[in-house]
Amino acid sequence: METSTVVTMILVLGTVWGGFAIALRTALKKEKQKKNSQ
Amino acid sequence: MAETTEKKEFFTSRWGMILAVIGIAVGTGNIWRFSRIVAQNGGGSFLIPWIIFLLAWSIPLIIAEFAIGKYTRKGTIGAIGKLAGARYAWMGAFIGFVATAIMFYYSVVAGWCMKYLTSSLSGSLLTTEDHVALWGSFTGSYEPIVFHMTAMLIGAFVIYKGVVSGIERTNRILIPSLLVILLTLAVRAVTLDGAWEGIQYLFTPSWETLLDYKVWLAALTQNAWDTGAGWGLILTYACYARQKEDIALNAALTAFGNNSVSLLAGITIFSTVFALAPGDGVKELISGQGSTNTGLAFIFLPQLFEKMPGGPAVQTFFSTIFFLGLSFAALTSLISMIELAVKTFIDMGMARNRALAMVATLGFLFGIPSALSMNFFENQDFVWGIGLMVSGGFISFAVIKHGADKFRREAVNGEGSDVKVGKWYNVMITWLIPIQVFALIVWWFYLSIFSYDPEGWWNPFHLYSVGTCLAQWGVMMVLFIVFNKWMVRKTLSSGAEV
Repeated sequence: METSTVVTMILVLGTVWGGFAIALRTALKKEKQKKNSQ
Repeated sequence: MAETTEKKEFFTSRWGMILAVIGIAVGTGNIWRFSRIVAQNGGGSFLIPWIIFLLAWSIPLIIAEFAIGKYTRKGTIGAIGKLAGARYAWMGAFIGFVATAIMFYYSVVAGWCMKYLTSSLSGSLLTTEDHVALWGSFTGSYEPIVFHMTAMLIGAFVIYKGVVSGIERTNRILIPSLLVILLTLAVRAVTLDGAWEGIQYLFTPSWETLLDYKVWLAALTQNAWDTGAGWGLILTYACYARQKEDIALNAALTAFGNNSVSLLAGITIFSTVFALAPGDGVKELISGQGSTNTGLAFIFLPQLFEKMPGGPAVQTFFSTIFFLGLSFAALTSLISMIELAVKTFIDMGMARNRALAMVATLGFLFGIPSALSMNFFENQDFVWGIGLMVSGGFISFAVIKHGADKFRREAVNGEGSDVKVGKWYNVMITWLIPIQVFALIVWWFYLSIFSYDPEGWWNPFHLYSVGTCLAQWGVMMVLFIVFNKWMVRKTLSSGAEV
């Protein structure tokens, strides 16, 4: 497999799936904080 | 002023709302359009601008829709009227009408998916000898009307149950089920012999293609069509967001969640195509029957399911869950389109059930021409698909008119926000979105004039002409401008600026 393919795969999957994972993790953390402060 | 008789309902939790909004965004376009557009635009080269426009188009507009809905608590007419000023309420009517016009034929699409689901379940789909003839005889019959009616009835039933028991509960079931289905299909696809070739094609960039402006415009179009940004649907669901609900983080979850599903579908389809149709598979995706949305889903993929190793039971299983997933994706989006139209009439003082009965009946009747004629269907898809870009422009205009910075501070970063959006947002919504709207509309008109219909691009009775877009948009805009004061009187409360 070419280097450019590996780089694109990491870039695309990292941004899209990674972006979703980070947003989900942050949302979970914020919800937990809100629950604890209630 | 009209008094709404609607019982106030709100999504019960952040996750209930997120799943419902992802239900809007994830539609058939993620599954059947994304893969063929990637194939036609150089594989990996397409994915880079596709991600850039996720950040430059989808996220700013999804943030705007979430914030406008929560800030105004009104459907599209009232929301734009409140935000930009009552004299611009007609723009909200246009946004709402574009999504409703799409609902008319999208219900037909949901019906097609359900028909193929039943054919696959019964085993008749994979025993057919000629898939082209099967598709032709189905669309040439009266059967699509029956399935269109079924889809509309299911959608209407969900809306009848209300925001929490209908929209939220349905999406809580269908969206996780759709993800399980897509993951199951993806695991099977990537473990087929030869699947790796497809994954390599999907992620291999060609620098030459990356510099082609057409690839960038195709990536922007894909974001405009498949994320639900700028349609007015997210705005409508956001009317039911709790006051303490966040905007920016939820918008990011929606946008990244939607594109994650597209990627998963892309990996599945490319793996399947390269494993089961090596050599000709990608050519089929680029210029064969698979190069159209319906051709890919209803003609090409069923042929591939027949070649899947494991025998008829395994083939039927995977074909059935594919069409089940496609039906779920279509239904969750259709539900939001029905709700948008219903909410518009509720804002005008109509009772929810009466508004629903009217929208479902009109939705069924106005969908019939698309169910009977592929030409009519394609014309409507072209006209209102490009109309969505105008809708995106109107949303951006409303924010600019209200004051981008004021909107950011009060509506986006208001009560409940987990993540504060910086001043970069003002630039995105004031400059970047209008520039992209302009580029998209010029591009699609250019295609009509120089590629689709050079002889008759001006003719309003031609399928893919500039004339048909301008005529249909023009009629609706004139109508909404003429009735603007009446709509404002019916929709907006006394505090509105008339």
